[in-house]
Amino acid sequence: MHRSLFNILSGRNTRQGLWGLPLLVALLISLWLTVETTQFATAENLFNLVAQAMPLIIAAIGQLVVVLIGGLDLSVGSVISFTTAVLALDQPAIVLIPAVFVLAAFIGLINGLAITRFNVHPIIATLSTQYIVLGVTRILRPVSGGTVPEIVIAAVSGSFLGIPYPVFWGIVVILAAWKLLYGSRYGLHLFAIGGGIASGAESAARNFGVADRRNIILAYVVCSCFAAVAGVFLAGRIVSGDPNVGLLFELDTVTAVALGGTQLSGGIGSLHGTVIGALVMALLANGMNLANVSPFVQTAIKGGILLAVVGLQSRKKMGL
Amino acid sequence: MTNLIEMSHISKAFGGSKALHSVSLDLKTGSVHALMGENGAGKSTLMKILAGVHQPDSGEIFMNGEKLDLKSPRDALDAGISTVFQEHSLLPNLSIAENMFLGREPTTRFGSIDYRVMSSQTAKALGELGLTLDPSQLVSNLTIAERQFVEIAHCIQADASVLILDEPTAALNAADVDVLNRNIRRLRDKGKAVVYISHRMEEIFELCDTVTVLKDGALVGTRMVSEITTDELIAMMVGRELQDLFPDRTGDRGDEILRVENLGITETSQPLSLTLHKGEIVALAGLEGQGQQRFLRSLIGRYHPFAGTISVNGKALKMPLSTSAGVRHLQQLKVGFVPEDRKEEGLFLALPIAHNIAIGLHSRRPELAPARPYRNVIARMMEVMNIKAAGPSAPVGSLSGGNQQKVLLGRYLAADLDLLLVEEPTRGVDIGAKSEIYHLLRDFTRKGGAVLVLSRETIELIGLCDRIYVVHHDTIVAEMPAAQATEHKILDAALMGGSTRQH
Repeated sequence: MHRSLFNILSGRNTRQGLWGLPLLVALLISLWLTVETTQFATAENLFNLVAQAMPLIIAAIGQLVVVLIGGLDLSVGSVISFTTAVLALDQPAIVLIPAVFVLAAFIGLINGLAITRFNVHPIIATLSTQYIVLGVTRILRPVSGGTVPEIVIAAVSGSFLGIPYPVFWGIVVILAAWKLLYGSRYGLHLFAIGGGIASGAESAARNFGVADRRNIILAYVVCSCFAAVAGVFLAGRIVSGDPNVGLLFELDTVTAVALGGTQLSGGIGSLHGTVIGALVMALLANGMNLANVSPFVQTAIKGGILLAVVGLQSRKKMGL
Repeated sequence: MTNLIEMSHISKAFGGSKALHSVSLDLKTGSVHALMGENGAGKSTLMKILAGVHQPDSGEIFMNGEKLDLKSPRDALDAGISTVFQEHSLLPNLSIAENMFLGREPTTRFGSIDYRVMSSQTAKALGELGLTLDPSQLVSNLTIAERQFVEIAHCIQADASVLILDEPTAALNAADVDVLNRNIRRLRDKGKAVVYISHRMEEIFELCDTVTVLKDGALVGTRMVSEITTDELIAMMVGRELQDLFPDRTGDRGDEILRVENLGITETSQPLSLTLHKGEIVALAGLEGQGQQRFLRSLIGRYHPFAGTISVNGKALKMPLSTSAGVRHLQQLKVGFVPEDRKEEGLFLALPIAHNIAIGLHSRRPELAPARPYRNVIARMMEVMNIKAAGPSAPVGSLSGGNQQKVLLGRYLAADLDLLLVEEPTRGVDIGAKSEIYHLLRDFTRKGGAVLVLSRETIELIGLCDRIYVVHHDTIVAEMPAAQATEHKILDAALMGGSTRQH
């Protein structure tokens, strides 16, 4: 395949979407910060930045999986908060850690079943579970408190050779996602299902013998489990359970996915794009904090960059 | 020849309506079996049952004498039954190789997809069809014809023994049809059983051995193609001899309604002029892709002609027409444009028939005027046009192709227009509906309307129209009365025009 620089920057002739542009944005922001501030281009700051971005990167990868099949998961934030609340229950780690993943998978299963079996629109289905899970979280832990198992805290707070542990865990998670999306039949089937939906032929993948319903359900389960991983990270960071820690994660993950050039209609997008998208958001936050930009202005700038980057992509449906 | 597939007494109902009633079909190895019938006769349903997409309510399917239980498309594929569906069956965001192996990808030891194997096998299957496409190319980059061939390569690659081709030539030009037919014959000679669904008579007689005709979900009969004539076949399909496919050319020629002068479609093409009078149906004929459509769409501003003037009812249009508002502007002048692709450009498939027709009635009213239901007009239109549907609230997407086309045409006929610009009035429409559409267009001109029409089917233009303009190289090279035109004359005119231009 001819992968000229132009093709990468324009997202043409691949199904990876326009990820070159956000990469360019990330590099430009980095360049600006390197010139403008002395604190930015230090190994410590950069590792911290990546470590801080890790929960968003991981949750965004989960979001990517459902966006690729033309879906959306708005329960991500609640699942994250819920995970921290469960981890702060007074139980041994050996029980709690498997439990958060089983519970997350169960939430994903409900999302998937509502969407495939009962034909509920993804936004409504996952909005409903967002409320339900948030409610349960607040019952468990109305305000922030409790203590998460020691092992969770240890796993995210140390560093090795000056590199914080979260960076290593992040790499492991990204590699696992890479294997899932690009090194398995399931990954290809996700793109196939999304491509069919985006081009208006929902049964196209099924006609090839792809088990579309099962794969869609699995995508929501995978998304929830990634959210749970992000929740474990955050729990280790804040040491306690917090019903509000996942707030707005559902929207930030969508922002990261869209910034990374993935099309929300499904079938077009990439893992590296999503990671870059999440990093752009972290860079913006980090950079603007260093540059003393007010948080209110930061939010507005985030919106402006999202609109600009996505607006530059052609939202042409492929094949039509 | 032995029976490879026996479908025995298949019945299938969707909701209340019976789509198939006890239909039996035998497919033999090494044969091309045509499946014919009007739109909605049940051909596609029968084939979707064989492809595992639908499950029959009753009836059995045998392959080599063994009973098949097809619960999903996967089951059918595993049994060696491959289908090229009418539309949209490849995934545009996947590469050719990925499409080719989708659902049965070879994997490496580590569970990854084995792209090397896929790529080489794909290249081999494409090579058998005489194609040299890069297997890693995305399908969205392919032309419609190339996609069609990739689908056939998919069947070959899957080593299917039964191939179902559902209107494979609907979107192909003559040269590609030739290539396709050559490949179908080759597959037949290799002992495959091919099912061929098409509305084009000449293809049936050229390609097929056996023909089965369905009507209203029931089997009319199965005959050898060598023992049947076109007229008999048509009679089988419509259930009666079709005497009056085309309406008489009666009607008064009235005032001039459209005048095009010295229109240069491209910078290098010869300027063309034509006139159109009330009461006339005028054709743009010629070889495919010679600019008929570019010309027609120049009239609505979709293409910007290089030079020339267009006047409607004596009033000159302000050139250039706006690309986005050209159609609206012409509608104010009582000119309607009926696009070729009813699904993509014409109809709102998810909306009811009533809305699809009413939008034409509303088009000449102010944007914010309260919507009127137009119930009577719509009911009358559906009756006049003989639209077969559950009622005006049925979504257009649920209708057969012929009825969809009638709804599209009805939108413009109901809107009280003077001039219709019609592309492909009967594409993918069965013969009964074709005849009805011809009569509707003629009735329109008898009431003082005028029609400018283009079509791939020259026979249709000769039978339907009063005058024919032959288009070649983006200009008009000949004009003739349709009553004296033949396919041969039109072809001659087109080619002569083309050759004189090259000198």
